[in-house]
Order: sequence, then C-alpha cells, then structure tokens
Amino acid sequence: MEGVFDYAPAIALFPLVAFVVVLAFGTYLPKKGALPGIIATGGSLLLSLVMAAAVASGEAYHETLYEWAAGDATSATGVEGVSFTFGLLIDPLAALMLVIVSLVAFLVHVFSLGYMNAEGETGLPRYYAGLGLFTFSMLAFVVADNLLMAFIFFELVGLCSFLLIGFWFRTKSAPSAAKKAFLVTRFGDYFFLIGVVAIAATFGTVAFAGDDSFVTAAETAIDGGDQLFGFDAQTWVTITGLLVLGGVIGKSAQFPLHTWLPDAMEGPTTVSALIHAATMVAAGVYLVARMFGYYALSPTTLAIIAFVGGFTALFAATMGVVKDDIKQVLAYSTISQYGYMMLGLGVGGYVAGVFHLMNHAFFKALLFLGAGAVIVIMHHEQDMWKMGGLKDKAPVTYYTFLAGALALAGIIPFSGFWSKDEILYDALIVGLEEPVIMAAYAMGLLAVFFTGFYTFRMVFLTFHGEPRSEVAEDPHPVGWSIKAPLLVLGVLAVVAGIANLAPVAKLAGVDITFLEHWLDGEYGAIEGLTYTAYGELLAYETSYIGSEQVTVLVAAGLSLLLAFSGAGLAWLLYNKPEPVAHTERLGSAGKVIEDNYYQDEYQVWLAEGLTLPLARAADRFDQTVIDGIVDGTSTASLFGSDRIRRLQTGIVTNYAALIVTGVIVLLLVLGFLGGWF
Amino acid sequence: MLLETLLAVALLGAAVVFVAPNRIAGKLAFAISLVPAAISLWLFAAFDGSGNALLEGDLAFESQMEWIQFGDYAITWFVGVDGISLPLVVLTTILTSLAILSSWTPIDERESQFYGLILFIEANLIGVFVALDFFVWFIFWEAVLIPMYLLIGIWGGPRRKYAAIKFFVYTNVASLVMFGAFVALVFGLGDAVSSFALPEITDAMINGDGVQTALFGVDPTTLTALVFVAMFLGFAVKVPIVPFHTWLPDAHVEAPTPASVLLAGVLLKMGTYALLRFNFTMFPTDVIEPFVVPIAAIAVISVIYGAMLALAQTDLKRIVAYSSVSSMGYVILGLIAFTQFGVGGATFQMVSHGLISGLMFMAVGVIYNATHTRMVTDMSGMADRMPVAVGILIAGAFGYMGLPLMSGFYGEFAIFFGSFGSEFLAYAPVFTAAAMFGIVIVAGYLLFAMQRAVFGPYNLETEYEVTRAPLHDIAPMFVLLGLIIALGVAPELIFEMITDAVDPIIANGGDL
Repeated sequence: MEGVFDYAPAIALFPLVAFVVVLAFGTYLPKKGALPGIIATGGSLLLSLVMAAAVASGEAYHETLYEWAAGDATSATGVEGVSFTFGLLIDPLAALMLVIVSLVAFLVHVFSLGYMNAEGETGLPRYYAGLGLFTFSMLAFVVADNLLMAFIFFELVGLCSFLLIGFWFRTKSAPSAAKKAFLVTRFGDYFFLIGVVAIAATFGTVAFAGDDSFVTAAETAIDGGDQLFGFDAQTWVTITGLLVLGGVIGKSAQFPLHTWLPDAMEGPTTVSALIHAATMVAAGVYLVARMFGYYALSPTTLAIIAFVGGFTALFAATMGVVKDDIKQVLAYSTISQYGYMMLGLGVGGYVAGVFHLMNHAFFKALLFLGAGAVIVIMHHEQDMWKMGGLKDKAPVTYYTFLAGALALAGIIPFSGFWSKDEILYDALIVGLEEPVIMAAYAMGLLAVFFTGFYTFRMVFLTFHGEPRSEVAEDPHPVGWSIKAPLLVLGVLAVVAGIANLAPVAKLAGVDITFLEHWLDGEYGAIEGLTYTAYGELLAYETSYIGSEQVTVLVAAGLSLLLAFSGAGLAWLLYNKPEPVAHTERLGSAGKVIEDNYYQDEYQVWLAEGLTLPLARAADRFDQTVIDGIVDGTSTASLFGSDRIRRLQTGIVTNYAALIVTGVIVLLLVLGFLGGWF
Repeated sequence: MLLETLLAVALLGAAVVFVAPNRIAGKLAFAISLVPAAISLWLFAAFDGSGNALLEGDLAFESQMEWIQFGDYAITWFVGVDGISLPLVVLTTILTSLAILSSWTPIDERESQFYGLILFIEANLIGVFVALDFFVWFIFWEAVLIPMYLLIGIWGGPRRKYAAIKFFVYTNVASLVMFGAFVALVFGLGDAVSSFALPEITDAMINGDGVQTALFGVDPTTLTALVFVAMFLGFAVKVPIVPFHTWLPDAHVEAPTPASVLLAGVLLKMGTYALLRFNFTMFPTDVIEPFVVPIAAIAVISVIYGAMLALAQTDLKRIVAYSSVSSMGYVILGLIAFTQFGVGGATFQMVSHGLISGLMFMAVGVIYNATHTRMVTDMSGMADRMPVAVGILIAGAFGYMGLPLMSGFYGEFAIFFGSFGSEFLAYAPVFTAAAMFGIVIVAGYLLFAMQRAVFGPYNLETEYEVTRAPLHDIAPMFVLLGLIIALGVAPELIFEMITDAVDPIIANGGDL
C-alpha cells in the first residue's frame, strides 16, 4: 500500500482547487459553489480513509516535498546550514486527524446546502471559497512534517476563521468579532512565532520526526548538559516549549486567550461547527500532540499545560451555565472541552487527549449542526428562552442532539464518557503523586458537574416543555441535507467510544484499546512518534488508590456521579412545561459569571483603554515634538531663505542646474580644504 | 550595454512623453514603460553574476569606462548588478509600469508632464541601483528628488507645497551630510584609492589598511567612525528611521497615488539599499561593532513606535505610510544582525515591502477615486460597493501583516530567524522578540481600519456615487498580488541570488 502515499498531497490540494474554482467562477456555478466544495472534501475524505487504511496495513509516510528556503546559519547546537521545507508526515495521529477533519468538512459542506443556500444568502461564493481555503489549510496543517509549516497553516486557518466569522460583514457585530478573533489568536501566535524562530535558531531544524528532528536534538542537548542561549538545555526547552504553547492557547481558546471564541459565534453556525468546534480550535491541541515528544522533555511545561487545561475546563463550564443563546452555551462548552484535552495531554495522557479530540470533534460538530438546525427551525432565533417543545416537531434533530448532549455530558456509554473518563483517570494517577496535577484534576472533575448541568439545561430549554414563542409553535421544516449529516454524526457520537474502552479493558482484562494500539504504532508508525516512545520520555510518577482496578472504578464513579448530578439538577430546574430562569438565585456571583468574569472587559481595556490612548499620545508627541523640531528648523531658516526664494522658480531645469552646481561647489570646497589641488 | 539601454529607454521615454499630447500620454508612457520592464525581466532570467558587487564578485551586465579625471581621482561610468541590486531593479521597472496604469484614473491634468516625470524617476531609480561609481550613483540619487518633488508639489493634495518642500529639503540635507562624509572618507583613504569606484573603495576599507590620513585634525579611527555615523544618519532620513521619519507621512498623504506607490515601493528602499551597500559592506565589523546595539535599539523603536503611530491614524494613507516606518525597522534589524538570513531577509523584505506597500497604496487610491475621501471615519461598508477592490485591499492588508505564503512573511521570518541567532548583536533574542511584537500591532491597526472602513453597513459621508473600479485600476493590483504570493510560496526565486551576494558581506565579519 506504500504507493498510495504518492496521492497524499491531493488530500489538501482538492479543497484548494475548489477554493480557486469557487472564487473565480462561484457566481456562475449551480448552488453558488457548494458542489466543488462537496466534491473536493468528499475526495479528501476518501483519500484520508485510504491513508488510514495504509497506516492500518503497517505503513507510514514522512517525505519532504518542497524546499521553501535554505541558507547558511549555524545553530546554537552547532548544526551548519538550515533548510525550511514543506513535507508530509502521515502517521497514526495524522491519519486519524485527516479522517476527522475531512469528514466534518464534508458533512458541513453538505449541511450548508440546507443551511446557507436554502436561505437565499448573498455572497455564497465567498462563503464556499472560504470553506475551501480553510479545509485546505487545515488539512495541510495536519500533515505538516515540521514546525514552520505547521505555523504557516496555523496562521492561514486563522485568516479563514477571520473571513468566515466576518461573513455577514454588513452587520456591526460580525466584523468586530472577526477582528477580535484574529487579534487574540495573533497575540498567541506572536509567542508561537518566537518559539519557531528560537527552535530553528537553537537546533538548526524544525522537523517533527526523523533523526534530525528538533525533538531528538533537544533530547541530545539535555543529555549532553548543553548551554543554549545562556540557559541550560532543560530550561531552554521549557522556555521554547512555552513560547509555542502561546499559539496553542490562542488557537485552542484556553484561558486567558479564550475570549475570542464566544464572539466568533457571530459567524454562520456551519462555520462554528467546522472551524470553531471540531477542527481549527483543535489545531492547538493537535500541535501539542504532534510535538508531544518535545513537551515530554519538560515536566514544567507539561504541568502548566495540565493546569491551564484543568482551569479552563472548569472556568469555561461555569460560564456556560448562565448563557441564554444556544450557540453561546456551545461556545463555552467548546472552550471547556479543549481544556480537558489539554489536561489529558499535560498529564501525559497522550492517547486520552487524542481520543477526546476525536470524540469531541464528532459530538460538538453534531451539537453545533443540531443548533444550526434548531436555528433554521426557529426562523433564526437563538435565544433558548424563546424555544421549547421542539422535541416532537423535529424528532431527527432532537434525538441526534440528545446523543451529542449525552456524549458531551459524559454519560456512559456515549463516546464523550470514555475519553473524558480516561483523561480524568490519567490525571488522577499522576495527581496522587503531584499536588499541582491533583489540583488540575480536581478542577476537571468539578467541571463535569457543570457540564452535565449546562448541557441538559440547553436540551430541556430547547426541546422540552411548551413552546414559548410563536415561531416555536410553527417550526420551519428542515431537509435531508441537514438531517443526513446529523444522523452520521449522531451515530458517531454514540459509538465512537468503542475505539478505546480503556476502563473495560482494565477491569475485564481484555485487549480492546484499539486507539491506544493505533497511536502506539502497532500498525504503521514513524519511529519516535509513538505512545510508548513518549512514555519513556515522561518523568511522571503514578500511583493508585488501592489497586489499578479500584482507581479505575473510583475515577469513573466520581465523574459519572457528578455528570448525573449536573444533568439531574438541570432536569429538576428546567424540565418543566414552563421553566423559569434561576440565574438570579446566584446573586452577585451570577452577575460576575454572566459578565464572563470581566475577561472581555479587561482585554478590551488593554486594546482600547490602554494601547489606543498610548498610540494617540505617541502621535501627539510625534506631531508636536519630533515634527516640531523639524518644522522649527525650517522656520528658522525661512528667514534666511526668504532672500533666496527667488531661486524657487518651479522649473525643473533650474533645479537640476542648482543641484549640479551645488555638488560641484561642494566638491571644490571639500577638495580645497582637503588639499586636493 | 543592457543596463545602459534600460536607462536610455526610460530617459528617452520620459522626454518623448513629456512632449506628447496629454490625451495619449498615459497610454504612451505605459507602452514605453513595458520596455524597461521586459528588459529587466530578461536581465533577471539571464543573470549570471555571483558574489557581491563591491566585494570582488562577478558582476552581471557590467560596463565601465573612463569619464572624468578629477585631480587624482577618476570618475568612471561604472554600472553592473549583483544579486542584491537586480531584484530591486526588477521591482522598480514593474512597479513603474503598474503605477502608470494606476494613474490613468486619478490624473486628469498636465498628463504628459506627469507621465514624463514618472519615467524620469524610473530612470534615476534604476541608476541608483546599478551605479557602482560613487559620483554616478550620487547624481542618480539626487536626481530622484526633483521629479518626486514636482509630482507631490503639482499633483498633490491640499498641503502639497508644504509636503513637497519638506520632503525635498529634509532628504536633501541628509544627502549632503552623507555626501560630505563619503568624500571625507575617500580623502582619508589617501593614496589607497584613485577613483570613486565603490568596489575599489570597499577593497581599501576592508582588505587594505582603511583610513590612514587624519583630516581636519581628526585621527583616522575617529574619522572612520564619524563617517559611519554621518552616512548612517544621512541614509536614515531616506529609509526613514525614527526620529527622522516625519517627512514621510506628509509626503504620502499629499502625493498622488502613483507617486506614493513609487515613494513607498522604491524610494524608501534607496535608503536601506544604500545602508547595506555603504554602511554594512564598506566598513569593517570592528567599526560597526560599537554601534550595533544602538542601531538595533533604533530598529526596534522604529518598528514599535511606527506601528503605534499607525494605530492612531484615521487616514488610510497615513496608516500605510506609518506602517512603512515600522516595516523598515525590520529591515534595519535584519541588516545589523549580520547573518545571511538577517541581511538576506532584509534585502528580501525591501522587495517584498515594495510590492505590498505598492499594492496597499493602489488599493487605497482606488477607493479614494470612488469616494474622494480616505478617512476611515467617513466611510463604512465599502466592501458592499467595491467588492473586488476591497478584496484586494484586504489581501494586501494581510500581506502587510505577514500572512504566511505571502512575501512579507518570508521577509520577516528570515529577518527574525537571522537576528535571533546573531552573534554580532548582543541580546539578539531580546531585540528580536521585541521587534516581533510589531506583528501584533500591525494586525491591530490594519484590522481596526478594515473593520471601520470596509465592513459594517454601507455609509459614505461624501457626495459621490460609488461605482466599481475600471479594469486598469484593478489589473495592476492583481499583478502585484500575484507577485506577492509567488514570492511568498517560492522565496528562493530571489532569495538564492540575494544570499549569494550577501555571503561576502557576512564573511567580512570573520568568524561570525
């Protein structure tokens, strides 16, 4: 099957072609450009499946395809010459991610037929071109075999995100949200780019894999006790790792750079599903997984990742509790869920983190698309308090949404339970040795309760009870282009957990952790990029409560108990014919949460209250002081020049003559002074 | 004789257009300008030089002949190109052709003089990049000012007189400082040089004993340092580097669009090109060394301060003008890093910024043609009425922000990479990281401006009927966009020849 990898570049290039075609001819195409996108992403999906099959048959692919730039530079570790290339790295992780991204992209394209085209939107070619460019960039990011290429496409997906959030540019809010999204993530990318530059300058390579990867080089430098840029190698690896992490925190919407994601809901819901739930936001977490070997070298960085993740999981979940807009609930839920993935990776749970990434992509895309269906049904109403009673009127939407909700809440046996449980289990066994991780675990665990609560609050308010508005009584029908993607994702949300039933495996002693074997290179793999290889680099100690089995049961029991309590509380409060808001009962705490802990305020203040006035002050300084000196000099000389202003005739030849004369005179003077004659 | 042909076509073309009827001047000038563009592309394809023009490299298209014997010094007509100057020549010819196209709409009086001056500028700009004799070079260098002065002074905005005079006087005074310093250097070298040929002077400075003669009672070592500083300041005005930048926004705001395109696109590069050719090639590193940290600090200040100023503006043209100050700061940082990627990236950035700023000024110009305002506060939702022009403006803005796979990203990345690991520059990582913060601010001011001017509900404060721009306004922008993306995807198109010419400069640094 090795030959099939020759076609791998096409996975990303198909959507690029679709982008170009739609951009140039979209207006004249049937469906305004939807079809090229569907065909291209369908092609990408098929090829991605072929790649996964090739990996399953024991192959992997790492090939440099194009040299972007090269030159001489001596790295801090003494490597001569550097080459920046584009290449493909298709290993189990990338193959899995390819399938996830192309599948969701394909389904979102199909869904768009019902969501965007049916509504008679203007600017559809722009929309489909944006989706095409995004899918291209995202897929290219996934297969990137080096850090610089990853950065390049990381930025490009940010551009697409900007363009698509701002799709309804004629409104005031969408352009503002688009700007915020790009700026906040750019702030993270600033650190990321320093990290890329630092890693390139340190090790002379940015390759993820192979003998000359920066991961291997870093390991060698640490073992050799090298001094790098005035730090010992261990510290420098931590610093550069944290710099790259800046980009991760921005893109994966982790605290404190999470503020852009809820605003990004200004974009079409399809865009939210594809970009701001399943794929682009996953890019950050994926990057951590992609260069996990590098992070595994630095326990400090890992602990920070875990702590940020655990904190974000809890922090965002609490905000989701009080939102009234269905998309806002999902946005905070997304932030929270990516927190779990960070927690998982941070505690060394590489498999658990990736597992949750996969499950979340499916069930969150499902929930967003379900919310999109609800929005269509509700004639563009997003306020859950105006919904209610949609359960019987839109059964397909309801049951698929419910599947997604059960997965999100982490209710056994839906997919989200298995991966979230595995993350919490991994965090617990490390946390028993490391207090910091224990704190992260505790936050992650507590977040389970809030997750269960906000998820079912959303389900009950939207679908249960009596209709609370006229549109809710008279729903708009949805077509099969909307229902079919929901069904596909609904099935996945239910069954995807089978991929890695780790607790069952541990309790029953059966070998059914397929994903772990997959990521551990039992099929195809690139040397050094396997779960076991990462495990060897990790410095974490683990221990159990009693035995492994007991710990498994305790972890799963605790998280299930909390999930059921959260969901149960929502059931008590909101599963009524006429539910009422309970937010006021939270008192002043509720106010703080509704205002998102003033995170937006302080960031807006940083931009508009601090930077902008500073810029204006700089401008005044520039106009008055610096330019004042310039003008002052000229005013002083104006007195003198008043006499000779007759020279200013405005005739070119006169000026030319003056300059030539001036040059000659000056030469003569200097020549005379210099003893030239 | 290809370079002479290039110059002659532009000069003669200028003369022909100058006397042509106004009615056909624009089209005629465009047709003529295609000849230098074609020749320069041919030069690019046939380029067979290697090494650095000043450091015993093999010049391409070289020609040299005795011109004037001036006391002990020979002035020679000496032209040729290496990997640093050729990309800038191509940039000049292409940008001129496109600038002429973009003038068709806004220029509606004294056309023949306008287009004649544009071609005249082109000739002199080419001259600046190909001349290898100081005297010849200086004539071109100074001659650039006249047509630009007139372009701003005659076809400019309401404050054109002030802006034109400020531009002319400021840069001219700077040129005098630089000229005086250079002549002092030549005298200081004494018998070691017998001409104004730049390679000969460089050889005397680098491989010879350098300045040996005291001048005006200043000892040779101090004299060399003084000359370095004076020349740096002279060029700093042209670049411009903070705090010598205040002529730039005024000139840009008043200048007609095509003049802005050439001003930002090529004229500013004269400054950085000269810094590279003179300050960072002719002087041994031990002369430069004491100034490394101050220059890097000025570079960082230019980046951040320039960007902050751009953030405070509400005039689209002023925003782009100040952002040039910021971008040129990166170039200075790359030059002072004294590594292949730093200096090479700086040279790449000169070309890249020429294309991107040219594109931005054109796009702003097209919007101005339709709306007769450039204030972001006067308009919103322009994307609704001018989708293509605004689309290009957005693309240009992202190019300016250093979006990957557009040329600006490679230029900046190479500079950052080159300067981060520089051993010549103390605290290199700190300076680099500080300068890099510019990429956040640039996104801030450009997106903020976009949000207000081109997005949102359509509204225009002026009384003009906004219509779509004609093809001859749009086409040049597509050409630029194509070049920006081509260089972003395949930087080696020019980076290879640039590094080839940069290497000998770096080698001067000895064990660097």
